[in-house]
Amino acid sequence: MAKVFIDDIEYEVPDGKNMLEVCLSLGFDLTYFCWHPALHSIGACRQCGVINYKDENDKRGRITMACMLPASNGTRISIEAKAAHDFRAGNIESLMLNHPHDCPVCDEGGECHLQDMTLMSGHNYRRYRFKKRTHTNQYLGPFLNHEMNRCIQCYRCVRFYKDYAGGKDLDVFAAHDDIYFGRSEDGVLENEFSGNLVEVCPTGVFTDKTLKQHYTRKWDLTSAPSVCHGCSLGCNILASQRYGTIRRILTRYNGDVNGYFLCDRGRFGYEYTNSKKRIIKALKRVSGTYQPIENGNAFEEVKALMGEGKKVIGIGSPRASLESNFLLKELVGENNFYGGISNTEGNLIKQVIDILKKGKVKTPSLAEAKGYDAVFIVGEDVTNTAPMLALSLRQAAKNKPNEEAFAIRIPLWNDVAIREIVQERTGPFFIATVHHTKLDEISSGSFYGHPDNIARLGHAVAQKINNNLPSVPDADRESASLSSSIAEALLAAKKPLIVSGTSLFSKNVIEAAANVAYALKEQGKDVGLIYTVPEANSVGMTLLSENFVDDAIARVEKERADVLLILENDLYQRIGKKDSEAILKRCNQVVAFENLENETTNSCDYLFPAGTFAESTGTIVNNEGRAQRFYQVHIPRNEVRSSWKWLDILRQDLQTAEAKDFDAIVDELIQKNPELQKIKETAPTADFRIGTQKIPRSPHRFSGRTSMIANINVSEPKPPVDNDSPMSFTMEGYHGIQPSPDTAFYWSPAWNSVQAINKYQIEVGGPLHDGNPGKRLFEPDENRQAKYFNDIPSSFHPSNDELLVLPLYHIYGSEELTALSHAVKERIPQAYIALNENEARRKGLNAEGGKVEFYYQDKKWELSLKIDNSLPDGIAGLPKGLNETSGIGYPFRTKINS
Amino acid sequence: MGRKLLLDKVGIVGIRSYDVYRENGGYSSVEKVLKTMSPDDVTNEVKKSGLRGRGGAGFPTGMKWGFLAKPEGVPRYLVCNADESEPGTFKDRYLMEHIPHLLIEGLIVSSYAVGSNRTYIYIRGEFGWIVDILEQAIAEAKNNGWLGKNILGSGFDCEIYVHPGAGAYICGEETALLESLEGKRGNPRIKPPFPAVKGLYGCPTVVNNVETLSTVVPIINMGGDEYAKYGTGKSTGTKLISACGNINKPGVYEIEMNISVEEFIYNDEYCGGIANGKRLKACVPGGSSVPVLPANLLLKTAKGETRMMTYESLSDGGFLTGSMLGSGGFIVYDEDQCIVRNTYSFSRFYRHESCGQCSPCREGTFWMEKILWNLEHGKGKMKDIDLLWSVQGNIEGNTICPLGDAAAWPVAAAIRHFRDEFEWHVTHPEEAQRRNYGLAGYAEPLKAGV
Ligand SMILES: Cc1cc2nc3c(=O)[nH]c(=O)nc-3n(C[C@H](O)[C@H](O)[C@H](O)COP(=O)(O)O)c2cc1C
Ligand code: SF4
Ligand code: SF4
Ligand code: FES
Repeated sequence: MAKVFIDDIEYEVPDGKNMLEVCLSLGFDLTYFCWHPALHSIGACRQCGVINYKDENDKRGRITMACMLPASNGTRISIEAKAAHDFRAGNIESLMLNHPHDCPVCDEGGECHLQDMTLMSGHNYRRYRFKKRTHTNQYLGPFLNHEMNRCIQCYRCVRFYKDYAGGKDLDVFAAHDDIYFGRSEDGVLENEFSGNLVEVCPTGVFTDKTLKQHYTRKWDLTSAPSVCHGCSLGCNILASQRYGTIRRILTRYNGDVNGYFLCDRGRFGYEYTNSKKRIIKALKRVSGTYQPIENGNAFEEVKALMGEGKKVIGIGSPRASLESNFLLKELVGENNFYGGISNTEGNLIKQVIDILKKGKVKTPSLAEAKGYDAVFIVGEDVTNTAPMLALSLRQAAKNKPNEEAFAIRIPLWNDVAIREIVQERTGPFFIATVHHTKLDEISSGSFYGHPDNIARLGHAVAQKINNNLPSVPDADRESASLSSSIAEALLAAKKPLIVSGTSLFSKNVIEAAANVAYALKEQGKDVGLIYTVPEANSVGMTLLSENFVDDAIARVEKERADVLLILENDLYQRIGKKDSEAILKRCNQVVAFENLENETTNSCDYLFPAGTFAESTGTIVNNEGRAQRFYQVHIPRNEVRSSWKWLDILRQDLQTAEAKDFDAIVDELIQKNPELQKIKETAPTADFRIGTQKIPRSPHRFSGRTSMIANINVSEPKPPVDNDSPMSFTMEGYHGIQPSPDTAFYWSPAWNSVQAINKYQIEVGGPLHDGNPGKRLFEPDENRQAKYFNDIPSSFHPSNDELLVLPLYHIYGSEELTALSHAVKERIPQAYIALNENEARRKGLNAEGGKVEFYYQDKKWELSLKIDNSLPDGIAGLPKGLNETSGIGYPFRTKINS
Repeated sequence: MGRKLLLDKVGIVGIRSYDVYRENGGYSSVEKVLKTMSPDDVTNEVKKSGLRGRGGAGFPTGMKWGFLAKPEGVPRYLVCNADESEPGTFKDRYLMEHIPHLLIEGLIVSSYAVGSNRTYIYIRGEFGWIVDILEQAIAEAKNNGWLGKNILGSGFDCEIYVHPGAGAYICGEETALLESLEGKRGNPRIKPPFPAVKGLYGCPTVVNNVETLSTVVPIINMGGDEYAKYGTGKSTGTKLISACGNINKPGVYEIEMNISVEEFIYNDEYCGGIANGKRLKACVPGGSSVPVLPANLLLKTAKGETRMMTYESLSDGGFLTGSMLGSGGFIVYDEDQCIVRNTYSFSRFYRHESCGQCSPCREGTFWMEKILWNLEHGKGKMKDIDLLWSVQGNIEGNTICPLGDAAAWPVAAAIRHFRDEFEWHVTHPEEAQRRNYGLAGYAEPLKAGV
């Protein structure tokens, strides 16, 4: 602890901070721009000027940037001194010289840090009376608008984009008052995290282009705390709506998970919720086409189908909540419930869960992952399968070189100095994947191979860490030496991190990664082990599943089923066309609870309109086993609702059916699944009140409430009531600092921008005031005996006439729902089949772009050739989940022709 | 005749070539240090000489070298700052153009002292022809064994590389220079860490001016103590002054730092008096960044003492009544010159050269230029003068690098000493367009007898 003096009052503050952080954490309103809690200080904007005094006798002091001033014992500053005020007001005045003052037409207006800071600084009289300098703006792709004239040159954008996220195509150009932040020429911003510029930029230079399509001011949005469904990491989001359509996604700060950031899939992939293809009422297929049907009738009919003695089975979903999966299981009975993924995938996830539960190595959270100092990725293209993990790993890569700066007592917050010292260096970072991945640019050693060879490399590393493990037979010299350097680097690290996942559908890969982690643990290392899984609730659904779809197929092949209930699941995406057809054909009646029309809904008999994350409340479990609550943003004016609500009614006696609320379902769930006990603690129950008040979803300045539907009815309708949460759907309720899991927007007097989050944290950049939301379901036990996996696969031998086809992942396109969003759609790559040059030549193919034919499940497919020389011999890669490749299950073998 | 140590040989025909330079005693300091001195000995001689950096700040060179961190196994770099872009300053160019081997010789000796095996000359981009001159000098030195591996069998390796900048003044600021040399945008760094600890490519680095490094040659040849006998007080040795403006003999002069400003302006050995028989109005004695002084305060300090051409004397009185020796860019204004116009001109320069990193400088220089343009063109108002004062005040001392100060000082000094002239521009808008304010209403006497 250090004692500092702010305007002559003494404060005890934690060591190693700068004065700006300290002031903000203590609740002072001190203006700033260039400092960012995750990007730290560069002292460029000069907006945080305070008077710094040498000691108590120094009465004059001098203007110093608080963000560059260490909060060491005895530091004395004044925020309030007139000279400090004048300086900050003067600085804003100068920043505003060229600003267009276009707040009324600026998308940032009403949630602009520049507006907030201007007011806070006290500057209100403009003395500049010349023309303003103007810039031309750029086209930056489907995600972001660019309005450079609003720039106040704080450099945050380039610092986030380049230094933090590893982007290459955004920079600062020109000099003096002409400096320009943008691309060298118009074009799509490539980086996967570009959307964070919306929140990082303190003004309206970079704004959300998808929001612009249906623009709404912050104060007019109704929002809910939610969890991103784009991948398995469970980043926290704020989803906002007006007039019944989702308008945008912002980061919901969670100090344990995503912190201040999101990936672009998560941020811009929401538009499918507004799609014309949404199923919005109950439908029944009548002679080939779907017809609307009264809910009540649909219930009656489906119930009748499922009557006494009927063979009913249900298929769950890795993108539906625990509650929905649970109720389907209840409805059809334990033995008739199947997790909605292939057995291969299900078993892999089961194994991952097993390691999480029974292993002895910690699975760090996304935030904790940033703290490791050596990384070994075993078989995962994280940038595309779990994007935000890639962002965390990029930060981890800085830890080792940063030590050099710490050694000369440069604190982490002094980012300018750190950048000088560290330059472009990164720490030990090893990657073994099927082909070149984006993180290779920071890797100290990359290996490309068949999953079995990746696993072999992992086993070799583990064996070099623990000599008692069996050595890898027939290891070639190259991978032997690589495995030695990896083992050495991991052993030399303080905190090595092993990252793996299920994306290659390889049990061997998962086992090898665990072995490396176990071996390191036994050497006393503070090792972390992260597995990524395919979908938002893969872990949650699998926890509830004994069997998976292949089991269901086997069953219906033996004996036809009367009714198949499908929960939020396009089978074609998950198990391939042939298997999907196999099961759909062997069930007499198919009932689906689904968000949008898809290939599976084409062959159902009844469809119930299921809510997406936007219209549902529920709990999902992320890859680390963290259960998190998401809330519905609004009650749509159509029939869409949480699947568990449909399922709950279906299982009751229809005559007396009474909608159960969410808490009751959760209670039932944990009663039957005691290991999920903690999901109840992920958020307050619906009867929670602050005083007598609920928690509002809308800010107190929400406008138009009385007139919004005046064209239909002039009397204001009674606001809908949310029985499933302590939140209101309006601005009514408690407007102070709310419980973290139930905070729908950040606002504090004088803080209208996203940076109001400062006021919700214990200290800026730290945990939320009442802890970060989410509950981890499993923790490792250090004392447990690690059970090594001893099956070392043999090396892959390419066959002469057949290729093994593996999935390649794309952040835009490989996820089913986000891929339907307009902006994301623009970024989806052309479908292709990738081969290395050698392979292509051997197959008589040469020109990139040439047509390639191959067979999958007896059907001929045709795609254009992409040369990827990092792919090993004998392996072809297909982009997973694109329109052209949907219905393919991986891996498979095929012959190809030109 | 003043004594010269740097330019004493520039008159020799062919001194630019290696052979002539060598015949005239060139490279003897390299022989001396490599054969008889340790690197620390060299640093000690420089410390003893009292040499102060000639790049503008006047920081003692020996002390700077002494601060250099020397961690094991980490290379150290010497970087010669040849970016000379300060308006009014053209002494380094002159030196490199006329006697390039002096710089190369100084660089080898200094590299030895600081332990730099790769030494860079970061040179202003516009000096294209000087790049050629230096490249040739380096090639000649190398061919004759003064550069490369194991120089003179001493075990010391040294290479010198010339790196032209792209013409940004800010790249003369040492940390911006290092950024630029690293291939990055020339934005100054925030210190600490200082270059002596983490400089070029994160390694300990010394940055010195061309003249500073060239001066190391006579220091070694004559010994530090002997050198310190030149000049006066803390201003030891000789200094190159580039004189320009309304004088009879503009040019680069090497002066011993023991002459008065008056002598420098009026003596025929130097500027030779004000051109066209006009009267001296004001002078910027140390390059565009330093405060302008009206004639009375230029020739005598506020205390009435004779103003000398030394670091101490020129800064006597602080900014209220003094200025700085700076980089030795000596700009003289005669009675016809307009201070407002000149201040505008400087402001335009600083506006253009601000790197754009920190707000007070980036925005303040931009604004000052505009206000000054208005004043100069008869479009100003009285309150603009106060506004100008307030804008410069918000810049000074509040920026990352000294360019902000350098932009603010000339404006502050101009208002401080010549406020009447600014006011006249406001009250006489039309006249201000036609003629300069000149000496009207301005304090006497300017120069006894003129
Ligand atoms: C804006 C700015 C421009 C500068 N330009 C030069 C320059 O062109 N040449 C130079 O030697 N020093 C220049 N300097 C000073 C250098 O930062 C540095 O102090 C100097 O090179 C150190 O050398 P010295 O100790 O030999 O004087 C400049 C400083 C500033 C702030
Ligand atoms: S664009 Fe935004 S983030 Fe970038 S420098 Fe300008 S104001 Fe800062
Ligand atoms: S003072 Fe000017 S030149 Fe120096 S860092 Fe700031 S903006 Fe750049
Ligand atoms: S926040 Fe401190 S200088 Fe920008």
